[in-house]
This record gives sequence, structure tokens and C-alpha cells, in this order.
Amino acid sequence: MSASITAPARSAGRLVFAAFVLLALLVWPLLVENVFYQRVGALVMLAALSASAWNLVGGYAGQISIGHVLFFGCGAYASLLGFTWFEWPPIMGAPFGIALSLLLAVLVGLPTLRLKGHYFSMATIALAELARIIVVNSPSLGGGVGISGPAIPRSMADLSFISPLPYYYIFGAVLAVLLLFTWWMGRARMGFYLRAIRGQERAARSLGVPAQRYKLYALLVSAGFTSLAGSLYAAMVGFVDPDSGLGILLSVKMVIVSALGGAGTLFGPLVGAAILVPLEEFTNAAFGGDGTGITYVVYGAIIMLISRYAPGGLAEILARLKAWGARHAR
Amino acid sequence: MTIGRRPLLAAPALLLAGRAFAQGAAQGTPIKVGSLMPLTGVAASAGNSAKAALELAVELINTPQPDLAAMPLMATAGFPAIGGRPLQLVMADQQGNPSVAQNQALRLITQERVVALTGAYQSGLTLTASAIAERHGIPFVNGESVATNLTERGFQWFFRTTPIGPDIAAIYMEFLQQVRVGGRPVAKIAIVNENTEYGTSIADVIRRTAEGRGVSIALQIPYAANSADVSAQVLQLKEAQPDVVIFISYTSDAILYARTMRAQGYRPPVLIGDNSGFSDDSFVQSAGDIAQGLINRSAFDASRPGSNAFKINALYKTRTGREMDDTTARIMQGFLVACDAINRAGSTQPAAIQAALRATDLKPEQLIMGYRGVKFDAKGQNINASVLLVQLRGRDYVSVYPADTATAQLELPYKGWE
Repeated sequence: MSASITAPARSAGRLVFAAFVLLALLVWPLLVENVFYQRVGALVMLAALSASAWNLVGGYAGQISIGHVLFFGCGAYASLLGFTWFEWPPIMGAPFGIALSLLLAVLVGLPTLRLKGHYFSMATIALAELARIIVVNSPSLGGGVGISGPAIPRSMADLSFISPLPYYYIFGAVLAVLLLFTWWMGRARMGFYLRAIRGQERAARSLGVPAQRYKLYALLVSAGFTSLAGSLYAAMVGFVDPDSGLGILLSVKMVIVSALGGAGTLFGPLVGAAILVPLEEFTNAAFGGDGTGITYVVYGAIIMLISRYAPGGLAEILARLKAWGARHAR
Repeated sequence: MTIGRRPLLAAPALLLAGRAFAQGAAQGTPIKVGSLMPLTGVAASAGNSAKAALELAVELINTPQPDLAAMPLMATAGFPAIGGRPLQLVMADQQGNPSVAQNQALRLITQERVVALTGAYQSGLTLTASAIAERHGIPFVNGESVATNLTERGFQWFFRTTPIGPDIAAIYMEFLQQVRVGGRPVAKIAIVNENTEYGTSIADVIRRTAEGRGVSIALQIPYAANSADVSAQVLQLKEAQPDVVIFISYTSDAILYARTMRAQGYRPPVLIGDNSGFSDDSFVQSAGDIAQGLINRSAFDASRPGSNAFKINALYKTRTGREMDDTTARIMQGFLVACDAINRAGSTQPAAIQAALRATDLKPEQLIMGYRGVKFDAKGQNINASVLLVQLRGRDYVSVYPADTATAQLELPYKGWE
């Protein structure tokens, strides 16, 4: 069946589908009057944003970082320290968070990107934990207690809204920029280089791919966007402490969200976030009183199922279904 | 569809109503009060103790309890000023995460339509969750978080019943003043504190309060929590010979200090162990015998038969098999204050409940905590929150200060293992 459809028609069909999805993403929060659902929507966008940023390094370049919370924390802390020290609107700290993240990405990337496989993962875990321990022991950074943003919004610039809708659209807009970049990168030289590195780094190097440099580029873009996600998170929640801003669970969540949807695919992280975040919120709401902890059971099961049966995530399952469909259509 | 479903829905309601009628319990649509607690994560055990205590509170409010008639809402069923409607508790798990605390606060307010919120245990989470309540104009009553800044935010809907750092420092200073009047020297004070948030902040506030009263802290020894060895710190104390030593430690360190002091034969004349590690039952069981006469703070004294605290603790014990601890009791007190305000408001309108909270003036005999009362200042802090001092006798703490609520005589100097 599908073989008889011509290529232009197929890409037009895809365009219509994409336009439909985009429209649905833009409009649904306006149709749903329930603020809790709207907030869950905003959280989906935020999780998709940080997971998509992780995806550049972990998915496309195949360098599994489990320390990305380091950059998230830079963004979150920069925002709220800007407020604590200078009374800035939290979002004004974002450029400083990004600058610090880029600096750290270079410092972290130069030595650790030489490491392969799980050595890179372990190095990133160690660095993120180091940052957390430093913050816990620094009273000027809020220590173990954490720091907060403006208690009562002073102006629009504080990005403190009663309705979750503005957050949804702000997070969504940043995500759109990141996805556009990722889409462009996938088709540009950088995307080919990264995929070659992920496939077989030694072979890529022998063909003249400047592997070290391109891995670092990917890490820089990834760190910048992760940091921005952290700043936006801080602006919405108005509080960060070492666990919520630099805890290892956040790094793990970025990995799981990407892996569920399909690491190394453009929309994988968004799909993963759209499934996991509501699941987490609704199981908590449904079992809040009694069967608590079910969220973690679900997380564990997802990790096991994906790593055993579909390391490529839902994208892989979809591709397999298509292949199965094509075989049986004949 | 709807018509078909009604009898099905009505059946359990009728059953409930029948049961309620038989027990003389509250009737009508329940009034919902939300509570955010850590039911999973590192603080889950505290959250689950709180859950048991709050469920007990709901049961006591919804059925007449002549035995507890001194406390508001206990003699009657439900909220007598709102047509006897029953109370319903809606618990939510905040998972120890500030963002989840906000999500759950929002869910309780917009989905469950709670009329007031309580919680959320950790100060950081109380901070974020109460910001949501503030924006939605829903009263938030906290009974347990001690971070000073919570009531410095200019919030209109936030109320806190627990004593905070300055209250704790004040009682130590008043107590030492009395000891001095009693004829013992207290001029040389040493503080030994673990170096994270808890130890640092309490040590700081004690130092500032002492200096404000013209007393200087002679020696402060910060140490890393969960130390393997504290003999250097004990030697330092032994050499300095302070009149008073105040420890601010978690459980494992508290036990280690008691053992090291025994090993080195060091006993200061007055030894104070600040709540946390020293209140833990495992400290009392494993080091209590060598720390006789240790002075500790608490605001919950269940040792006096006939008191509200004694009765509530007994009910809690039959329910859970455990003694109610200070933190759980403070959480329960915050919840009870919120419920009392709802009843006095005579309505489920948020503004009426806010006004009732502002007018709260509960007396000591109406409380389970050993506070001087509950009355909020303009910032929402309970100005009558106070702390009791207790002393270790055998394996029990007995209340020794202030004198009017004490159940036993203060015994000095510190005995340790003798």
C-alpha cells in the first residue's frame, strides 16, 4: 500500500499531520478549563525541553550524560541568586546561568568527552554530585535550605502568574526553538558527524570526523538549553534547594523521558514527556492517600522494559510496527 | 445514564448515613481540608506518622468526644456552626519535591475544592505550596516548618502555629537565667553543633539571642554530621570547662557524644541536647542510661494524666502502636487550629476562614501542644508558641520548665551515668 504513494504526497501528508499536531498543542490548554491539567501541560513542556536538550548529547551523539542536572542547577540557581543578591526578576539570571553552564561544559567536556561509554556517564555523575555537595556546604548559595524567588510578584518580569497557561506557552516556545535547531542540525553536517560518532567513533575519526570538537559543540548547545530550562523552572516554582535543583533524580528523569520516546529522534523526548509526566501526576493524585510510591514502580518497570525489549524507545517500536505492517501488507 | 446511576450512588450514601445516625455522627456534605505530607521519599516515616495523626483528628472531630470536651470541635460532631457537616481530610503526597508540592496544592485547591490547606512538612516545600494557596486566596495553616522566612513574606493567607528558632533560643536563655538565680554559674556557655542547616541555624539564633541579652557564647564547636569519632571535640570541652554545654546534633552523633563523654569521664554541670537527635527513641534506648539529667526541648508533653496530650497520645498509641512524637503532635495541632477556624467562620468562604484565623485566640487548655496559646500576629506567626524543657529520668523525659506546666522537679547538676 504505502509503496504506491509517491514521495511528494507522503511529505505533504506528513506536513499536514505536523500542522495538526502543532495546532492541537497550541489550542488544547485553552479548551481545557481545568488549571491542574494546564499545569501538567506546562510541566510536560518543561520536561520535554530539558530532555530534548539532553537528547543532543545523549541521543544524537550517543554520549550518555547522567550529570545534566549540573547545567539545570546552574540555570535555576543563577535565576534565584540574581533575585536574592540584586533583587532582579528571576529570568534576568538566565543569561548568567547559561554563561556559567557553557564554561562548565567546556571544563567538563574537554577531559570527560575523551572517555568512552560508561566512563563518561560516571564522570558526569561525579561532577554533578560534586556541585551538589559544594552547594550544600555553601551558606552563601543557600546551603542545604535552598533559596527562594520573589514571594509576591512585583511586575510581569517576575514571570509569576496565577494561571499555568503563560508557562505552558513560554516553555513551548523555547522548546520549539530547540526542536528547530535539532531538526536543522540533523540535516546539517553536524548531525551526520554526531551520528557517525554514535555509530562507531573510531571509524568516524579515521574518516576525518573531528569527533572531540563536535561532541563538545553538542554538549555546549545542550548545556545552554538545559540551563535555560532550569531558569524557567526556578521562575515558575520560585524555590530551589540542592535536591530539587541538583539532585541526581533529575538527570535520570531526562534520560528516561528521552529513552521512552526514543533517544536520538527529534520528537522522542516530547512524546516521552507527554506520557511520563501526566502518568506521574495522575498516579500521585489517584494514590496520594494510600498506594503512594506507585510512580517509582512505574518508572522502574519502564526502564526494565525499554532496556530489555526496545532500547530505541517508542520510536523503535513504531518503526518495528511499520515494518511489520509493510511485510503483512504484501 | 445519569438517572440510572443515581440509585447506585445513593446506596453507599444511605449506608453511611445509617451508620452516622447510629453513632450520632456529623451529617451533610463533607467539608474538605487538604494536607500535603511526604508520604514517599526520605521523610516518608514522618509523613506517615502525620497521616495517622490527622486521620485520628478527623475521627475525633466527626464523632462526639465528651472526654476531650475542653478542645474545640471535640464535644460535638462535625462542624456545629456549619450545620454539623462532617470534616473530610484530603491527603496528598508532596514526595519531598518543591514542584510536586505546588502541583498537589493546586490540585487540592482546584480539583478537590478544599477550603483550607495544611502542611507541607519541609520548610522549602511549605514555602512553594503556600505561594500557590496565596495566589488562589486559600488559607494555609502550617504547624511544623520552622524556617523563619516563611512568615516574613507579607502573605495574607499563611498562618503558622509552631515555635520557631527565636522562641527556642529564648526559652534556653530564660531557663539559664533561672538556673543562675538558683545559684549555679551559667556564665560560660559552649555550643556544639553539627555543621549543616539545622545545627548552624539553631546555633546562630542561640548566639544572637544570648548576645542580645548580654551573655556571650564562650566556645562554639561546629563538627561534621555523622562523624566516626568525636573525642577531639569532647577533649576541647573538657579543657575549656564550660558551665553549660548545648548540643545540636542528629541521632547518631548524639549517641556518639554520650558514649565518648562517658569514656573520657567528662560531665558538664548543665547539659542541654536540642530536640532532634536527643528526642529520638533510639538515643533514649541506647544512650539514655549514660545521659541521666540531660535537658531537652519539646513542646509536646504527654506525661500528665488527664491532659489533652495524654489522652490524644493514648488514642494515637492504640491506633499505631507508637508514642506520638513532638513533630507529629505539632502537625496535628496546626490541622486542629485550621478546623477550629473553619467552624468559627461559620462558612466555607475562604475570606471568612481567613478572618476567623486572624481572630484565633486559643488557650493552653484547648490545645494538645504545650503552647501558651494560639494567637497570630500580622505576619501569621503564633505569638503564643512556646517550648517546654524536659529532663531525662531513666528512659523517660519529664517536663521541668517552665514551672507552671512542669510535672517534675529540675535536678542539677547533670548526672550522666551515675
